[in-house]
Amino acid sequence: MPDPAVGTAIETLRADFRARLAAAATDRDLKALDDAFLSRRSGSVTALLKQVASVPAEARREFGQLVNALKTEIESALDDKRTEVAATRPPAGAVDVSLASRQVPAGRVHPLMRVRQDVEDIFARMGYEILEGPEVEDDYHNFEALNMPPEHPARDMQDTLYLGVPIPGGIWGAHRSTGARGASSEIAGRGRVPEAQVRAATLLRTHTSAMQIRYMKTFPPPVRLIVPGRVYRRDNLDLSHTPMFQQFEGLVVGRGVTLADLKGTFEAMLRELFGDVKIRLRPSFFPYTEPSAEVDISCQGCGGAGCPTCKHTGWLEILGSGMVHPAVFEAVGYDADEVTGFAFGLGMERVAMLKYGVDDIRLFYENDIRFLEQFPL
Amino acid sequence: MRALLSWLREFVDVPGTAEEVARLMSLRGFAVEAIEPFGPGDTVIDFEVTANRPDCMSMAGMAREVAAAHGLRLRTPGPPPAAARPPRTPARVRRKGPAVLDIVIENPGLCPRYVGAVADVEVGPSPPWMQTRLQAAGIRPINNIVDVTNYVMVEMGQPMHAFDHARLAGAEIRIRTARPGETLRTLDGQPRTLSPDMLAIADAERATAVAGVMGGGDSEVTPATKTIVLESAYFDPLSIRRTSKTLGLKTDASMRFERGADPGCPAAAMARALELIERIGAGRGRGALIDRYPKRMKPVVLRLRRERIAGLLGCPIPDRDVKRILDRLGFTLGVVAGGWRVVVPSRRVDVTREVDLIEEVARHYGFDRLPTTFPALTAAAPPIDPRIARARHLRELLTAAGFFEAVTFGFVAERAAAPFAAGGDLVPIANPLSELFAVLRPSLLPGLVDAVAHNRRREQRDIRLFEIGARFTQRGGERLALACVWTGAAAPEHWSGTGRPVDFFDAKAVVERVGQALGAEVRTTPSQEPWLAPGRSAAVMANGARAGVVGQLADTLVDAHGLPRSDAVYAVELDLDALAPLAGRVVRVEPLPRYPSVTRDISILIDDTLPASDVRRTIGGAAPPTLVQVAEFDRYQGKGISPGKVSLSLRLTFRSSDRTLTDGEVQSAMDDVLAALKEAHGAVQR
Ligand SMILES: [Zn+2]
Repeated sequence: MPDPAVGTAIETLRADFRARLAAAATDRDLKALDDAFLSRRSGSVTALLKQVASVPAEARREFGQLVNALKTEIESALDDKRTEVAATRPPAGAVDVSLASRQVPAGRVHPLMRVRQDVEDIFARMGYEILEGPEVEDDYHNFEALNMPPEHPARDMQDTLYLGVPIPGGIWGAHRSTGARGASSEIAGRGRVPEAQVRAATLLRTHTSAMQIRYMKTFPPPVRLIVPGRVYRRDNLDLSHTPMFQQFEGLVVGRGVTLADLKGTFEAMLRELFGDVKIRLRPSFFPYTEPSAEVDISCQGCGGAGCPTCKHTGWLEILGSGMVHPAVFEAVGYDADEVTGFAFGLGMERVAMLKYGVDDIRLFYENDIRFLEQFPL
Repeated sequence: MRALLSWLREFVDVPGTAEEVARLMSLRGFAVEAIEPFGPGDTVIDFEVTANRPDCMSMAGMAREVAAAHGLRLRTPGPPPAAARPPRTPARVRRKGPAVLDIVIENPGLCPRYVGAVADVEVGPSPPWMQTRLQAAGIRPINNIVDVTNYVMVEMGQPMHAFDHARLAGAEIRIRTARPGETLRTLDGQPRTLSPDMLAIADAERATAVAGVMGGGDSEVTPATKTIVLESAYFDPLSIRRTSKTLGLKTDASMRFERGADPGCPAAAMARALELIERIGAGRGRGALIDRYPKRMKPVVLRLRRERIAGLLGCPIPDRDVKRILDRLGFTLGVVAGGWRVVVPSRRVDVTREVDLIEEVARHYGFDRLPTTFPALTAAAPPIDPRIARARHLRELLTAAGFFEAVTFGFVAERAAAPFAAGGDLVPIANPLSELFAVLRPSLLPGLVDAVAHNRRREQRDIRLFEIGARFTQRGGERLALACVWTGAAAPEHWSGTGRPVDFFDAKAVVERVGQALGAEVRTTPSQEPWLAPGRSAAVMANGARAGVVGQLADTLVDAHGLPRSDAVYAVELDLDALAPLAGRVVRVEPLPRYPSVTRDISILIDDTLPASDVRRTIGGAAPPTLVQVAEFDRYQGKGISPGKVSLSLRLTFRSSDRTLTDGEVQSAMDDVLAALKEAHGAVQR
């Protein structure tokens, strides 16, 4: 009969081995196990075997058998596990897929240009022509033809930057130089060749509205036009002003175009741009529109309840608009009794600030990569 | 316009809180800048009055709008409640006397109407209620006489002025243009030199006020003043605006006159001023009020067509609403066929056309009550502007190539622009905000390099930026350009050791890629730009004409923008307007090759100054048309190559469209090529 204490020691050893074997996953683990149990010098099974001398003679045989059985069992279990581990080793030439990839650097479209492209796309789907105009302009197109004769008080609303010398302005509408227009022109016989270049520009345009005049003087109604571009004002740089900023000019002219159409157009456009917002029109004043309206969208920050972003009004001013002033039609040679229209100006910075939660306009012009890379590819 | 709520309520019984009034009025065209508590239980509402509504730069004007918005009656205020005590007549005031004033308008074009009156006064402080109301309006109380003139201005919108009668030479008011070089010290103590296009209020001898802008110090009402001359006039808006601008002098009066005061108001305002002077015990008028109004202005009469209202607003507005709105605003309506004949009150200088009346109707009817429709599409939209389409294409291409899009200002400091301006061709800004924005940019690069420096200071080392935008020169005018800057890695650092810093050929690849995208064939030829590093600078040629540059920034420029010398910054700038006409290649598919190609590699030893393009040209000239491609694949200098020489290895590809080439004909072609290279460049095969 074996000593119960000896039997317990063997069982403890076996249980210990089984537990550690189960946790072993690498060759290194298996080697450690082999050493721990079977090493000639320090293995625990070897140590147990060495105790045989202290076992009473009558139990030695059984003791030896039991320990040797354990040793064999461990050896065979280790062999099995080695085979198992070997089977999971990656094949020759395998790569460590967890290593860092070789990055292909990716840039980003500037957030203002993302907004610009979004808005261009929205209006393109609504059948608008998208056209660029010159950034340097003359007084006639920037002011006078827009019902702002020299020394009109409204000129104070836009502090203008003047050029030290007149220069030729940018090319516009060169692709339209054939003057070809859809067959459905409402008023025939007005096709003219665009004066593709501004001859003597004297100022930096204060708004893209200057293109209203160039366009209408060149093409007959109907008009459905978007002019995106940079505009300039003599404003100091601060949280909400930059001396250069980006604007969209919109112009729709035709028979029976109404203020209600203006409302509908903005509703469609602003909802596409900002999601499910409410819009509201407030009467305002621009010399080249009558009636004029500022357009607000409901504040998404507070859902209209009032918050610091919307100065606790629940509304955010987003664009200026109105029905084209008859004086503008007269300046371009359209018959104000035949056609009506609406015009609007939308600031890209304003849209981008609201859409992306930017609270300092200067960020758009610092071109800090840490800012730019926050926008998705 | 800062309106004290309690004062407003003297004109109209407006219900609700200041906030409620503000909310409604902002929907009627008067945005509210601030609502401020003022004194015990009172409030100031600061209404933003648009430039076309000078009539609302007064309590009466704002009250009329508030009344119309709320559908309430407007009252003409009597004496303020606090003034209901019996007026005290100053003892020394003479009740009666001769009209001691003569008024002559020399220039009725600039001063269509002038109302004057004389009053005997005792100058002192005005009563507290008047001072409070002036303070609420943002006006500092001075003395009872000046305060009355300001009070009438705030109440009725009519700027007024008081002169010390004793200090007017000849007891006369002469409204005339200034004499050349005529000077005057204005109330603010400044000496002013007037020009002959400015209107002055003069006495028999000299100018005593800049008409409609500011009075003169010499005729100022002082505590010693016993008799005053009061002025209540209408001046030509343009003249006042010019004068105010030229003198750099903006006053409460000039702001009202230049936007357009009410020519119908001066006499009523004068009566009100005299009434107030008497009521607050400041004095009493003497003699009759003198009204010089040589050419009475005719009221504006407009036709308002019912059908036009609907045509512009998108829905008919009921007649009763049209009548109610215009009536409350003070317009007089007569029914005519199809609509109304409307007489415009003289204060409404902004209403000159039918459309202005329609705006009034829409404004008070409520924009929110108009329907929401969509304009009918009657013609197909022309294609998008190719300039815009190209910019979008390039944006996709360059962002995919690792470039971040930058947007920089159109103007730069002259110092930053100068290196980029050939022959100093810069466009100065006449009235720049600061030195930093002094000239229009002749190149997009100064702005972009600044952006590189900005990022470099913020621990970014690998920076690729591009911008598409206008640049300006006097000779070339405004031109659309694309610029790229690239510093740091071409291939980012990687554990496999494939990282590599950017070099010229990375930048050149950008140029070629842009050319491909635009359908324009571009080449680079050596060309030294002052702002590019010597020997690392090339012109980009398209169709034989110069269309841009590519190269490494010169040290001087790197220093100037505060970048470390160790940073190699490569730059590209292309004139998109020059490339545009070359674009638009029509796609015609070539049949795919049916026969295999044969490649041959050669290594030749040549002078290291010989451009690879010359080698390629020689090969092309010597080989038969079956040579379809030549590409350098190795270039070696160093051990085993004598100084001044370079070993260049090229791979030539031959292919025919109608047969499989034989070894013999390819070998013969190679012999010809090598012979030509030896002949032309002394090339030795290795
Ligand atoms: Zn909010």
